[in-house]
Amino acid sequence: MINQQLAEISNLALVVTIVLYVLALIGFGADLASSSQRRSDARLAARERQEAEQEAQPATVGAAAGHTSGTTTGGSPDSADAKGVADAASAGDVTDPAGAEHVAAGTMTAQRFAFVLTSAATVLHLAGVITRALATQRVPWANMYEFATTSTAIVMVAFLAFSIRRTELRALGTFVVGPVLLVLLLAQTFWIVPAAELTPSLQNSHWIYIHIGVAILATALSILGAVVASLQLLQAKHERTLAERAATEDFPEHWGRFGHVLDRLPSSSSLESLSFRIHSLAFVCWTFTLIFGAIWAREAWGRFWGWDPKEVWTFIIWVIYAAYLHARATGGFRGSRAAGLALAGFVAVIFNYTIVNTVINGLHSYSGL
Amino acid sequence: MSERTTSQDPREKSAEPGAGAESGRWSSKPEVDGARAAVPSLGLRGTLLFLWRQLTSMQTALVLLMLLAVAAIPGSLYPQRSVNPALTEQFLDENGRWGEILDALGFFEVFSSPWFSAIYLLLFISLIGCIVPRVGVHLKQLRAKPPRTPSRLTRFTGYTRVELPGEQADALIESARRSLRRSRYRTEVREERNGRSVSAERGLLRETGNLLFHIALVGVLVCVAGGSLTSYRGQVTVIEGDGFSNSLTQYDSFEAGAWFDESDMPDFRFTLEDFRATYVEPGESGKVGEPRSFEADVQVSTPGQEDESRTVQVNKPLHVPGASMYLLGNGYAPEITVTDPEGTVVAEGPLITVPMGDVGYTSQVVLKAPDAQPEQTAVVGFFLPTGTIDEQGPRSLYPDAVDPQLALTVYQGDLGLDSGVPQNAYEVDLTTLTAVPGEDGDPVLIRLYPGEEYELADGTTVSFDGLRRYAAFDIAHNPFERGILVSALVAVGGLILSLFVPRRRLWVRVREADGTAVLEVAGLARSDDPALETDVKALASRLAGAHDGNRPPDAASSGHPAADADGGHREGSAQ
Repeated sequence: MINQQLAEISNLALVVTIVLYVLALIGFGADLASSSQRRSDARLAARERQEAEQEAQPATVGAAAGHTSGTTTGGSPDSADAKGVADAASAGDVTDPAGAEHVAAGTMTAQRFAFVLTSAATVLHLAGVITRALATQRVPWANMYEFATTSTAIVMVAFLAFSIRRTELRALGTFVVGPVLLVLLLAQTFWIVPAAELTPSLQNSHWIYIHIGVAILATALSILGAVVASLQLLQAKHERTLAERAATEDFPEHWGRFGHVLDRLPSSSSLESLSFRIHSLAFVCWTFTLIFGAIWAREAWGRFWGWDPKEVWTFIIWVIYAAYLHARATGGFRGSRAAGLALAGFVAVIFNYTIVNTVINGLHSYSGL
Repeated sequence: MSERTTSQDPREKSAEPGAGAESGRWSSKPEVDGARAAVPSLGLRGTLLFLWRQLTSMQTALVLLMLLAVAAIPGSLYPQRSVNPALTEQFLDENGRWGEILDALGFFEVFSSPWFSAIYLLLFISLIGCIVPRVGVHLKQLRAKPPRTPSRLTRFTGYTRVELPGEQADALIESARRSLRRSRYRTEVREERNGRSVSAERGLLRETGNLLFHIALVGVLVCVAGGSLTSYRGQVTVIEGDGFSNSLTQYDSFEAGAWFDESDMPDFRFTLEDFRATYVEPGESGKVGEPRSFEADVQVSTPGQEDESRTVQVNKPLHVPGASMYLLGNGYAPEITVTDPEGTVVAEGPLITVPMGDVGYTSQVVLKAPDAQPEQTAVVGFFLPTGTIDEQGPRSLYPDAVDPQLALTVYQGDLGLDSGVPQNAYEVDLTTLTAVPGEDGDPVLIRLYPGEEYELADGTTVSFDGLRRYAAFDIAHNPFERGILVSALVAVGGLILSLFVPRRRLWVRVREADGTAVLEVAGLARSDDPALETDVKALASRLAGAHDGNRPPDAASSGHPAADADGGHREGSAQ
């Protein structure tokens, strides 16, 4: 039996979650914007200082530059930022570890505000998913709406787990909360269905826990991986531009409108290795999704593989991610091209989740959505 | 995966820092370089060798993988004969010439089309061509000692140099070796000029896993091929109260591989005693009429065993030795009796009706009575479990038999059964038939409730005597299923090893000069290995600390060399 009261609590929790994510997104956005302001102030200050020094002592420019970078290690945000700009050409070091760290503990910065809100929202998000499960007395992933709410909850938990200790990763908040919010809004407007019991095809099988559970994990990891891979591509482009400009300018401008954001993110090579680790896990999860799906298909339909559209697309996802892993180890494909393949894999994940579920008719179309 | 490149493409080596010590083993493939450089003067053998090298190169594998992904897409966008033949025919009818072109190109049988097969076969040939030499190399590596310690360690990861006055070089080396061995490194102590060194290596399991993964994929392919040659699968429809015994004649449709032998079919029989279905009732949560459960009670008898009662459900198939039976469909079988104008009973008993796919289970009735006199007769119409007839025509509102009724029209004429063309029992060609008119001259739509009988103007009678349900089962067997599952699990095991076991080298060198021992430690990551640097430094400080006496030996336990992906080996390491 469906517990309608719990189901309503679940809906309410998810609506409030969405509101909190919106607020958190504003916080993360404000944090990125303020850092760009600080950054450009610092650049201006550095330029003025150098010009003043050049006028005063044209002969000791080198010493002045040495002084600037020498005081940065534990220094004020200004000098750290100046170093960030000065070193931008050599990249690698642009990871100004979260401007917030320089601020005294206990001060409410935009980022800390956003992070606290995100944590609260994630707790509520999980509560919404769990109450839905309790209301229906089953796993909360029997239709598109539940799959979306559950997998985004996993994405958020993974993000919090990654960034609770590595505070510099919190700067990525915008890029994680943004897509999650988008999916939740889609789920809340287009995919929402009332809490209901399972159709026969989903009953009597423990594979619903295993197969779909792993699929949710795989999807969540693919989302995270795609976020990191696209940032890696942007960062690589940014670093190239900065290197080119550094050859001709003393104080290179950022590349494009997001340059100041990219300055705050880890270097493209560390993003690349993070992306690889996430995608390796995702690939293993997709492999398990295929295997467990095949076992369930054999129990339910009497064959382990039948080229159902969902099976075809999961196979395509698997092959593209396999190509990514190979590309990463192949000369000429490493780096940006491999990241492109990872993103192609993510496009297949999206297609598999949206078009295959709604437009193409197959055996995986359950309960309306 | 990275190992595949390393063995394949010697140019790759230069990208890895400090590969010098090893490069001799991994990349010296003169024949590869030779073939590439000397393309113009190759003979037939050389050309073949060149093509083989190209096929087994990583770039080719990449291209083939992407091609495979792209080639699979039309298989999900166009209806596939093997998945849904009816939909395929419909698509062909609707798209005329375009459909024919697509059909000729194999777009409705993508996964058995020549181009799709070509891609995956080339991919697997490429894979085998890549794996076989690597297995040899890897076996050699497994037996080989860790490579010589490089003469200059300074350019390697985490290089640490500590001067320890008054330390014994031999003791340091020994404790380094012991510590590394406990962390599951293969170690080799080497005498050098004015010193000794330990060269250690771990993570060969990474390449083992990688090879295992690829070999197991070949295993999956072989088992799938074996399965498609030997497996069989058939559909049966059984009405409540009726029985089934496993022989070819009993199947509605049957497919089997080329090597399938009919005598292999297991001997079993069953009777469908009861079929139950429940649906979402009005007032319950969910969409009204959506199914909630299907259950088929069967009495099964297998040779040499007592009969047993079993319930087959969706997701709960019936397994008998040598075959499995899956509940995949159901419907209604109204009992209809037809007598012709001469009073002869020309049709009697339950008739399988075909659900049209709506929520209410509106089902098509086609009853053929070729023996009717004076003309052959067909009764065509609908069975409605909860029926209504309104401006949309006869239809059912709810799938359960709440208000069962039949809406029928009787036709007479030539059923076309003598033409020799096989006919579908559930379809009838109405062009050669005419509807029996009523008194007003229009065709009569007969509406019957259970127990009722209707007599047409010409004396034909139709009666609705009772209602039964039927269940549709698939019976299938694939002797290679177990092999596929085992291969797939081995593959995923190998995959996990190949992705998450870090492969690395570590070197510890101690030189003695003027009573001072100079300790050098450095490492080389041969895969993604972010923990290497901290591990190297931790080892260095522990070695220095343990012999210095300044540090308690267990202070460095947090940064132990074994603290990497497979942390399971942590226990028993040097503390």
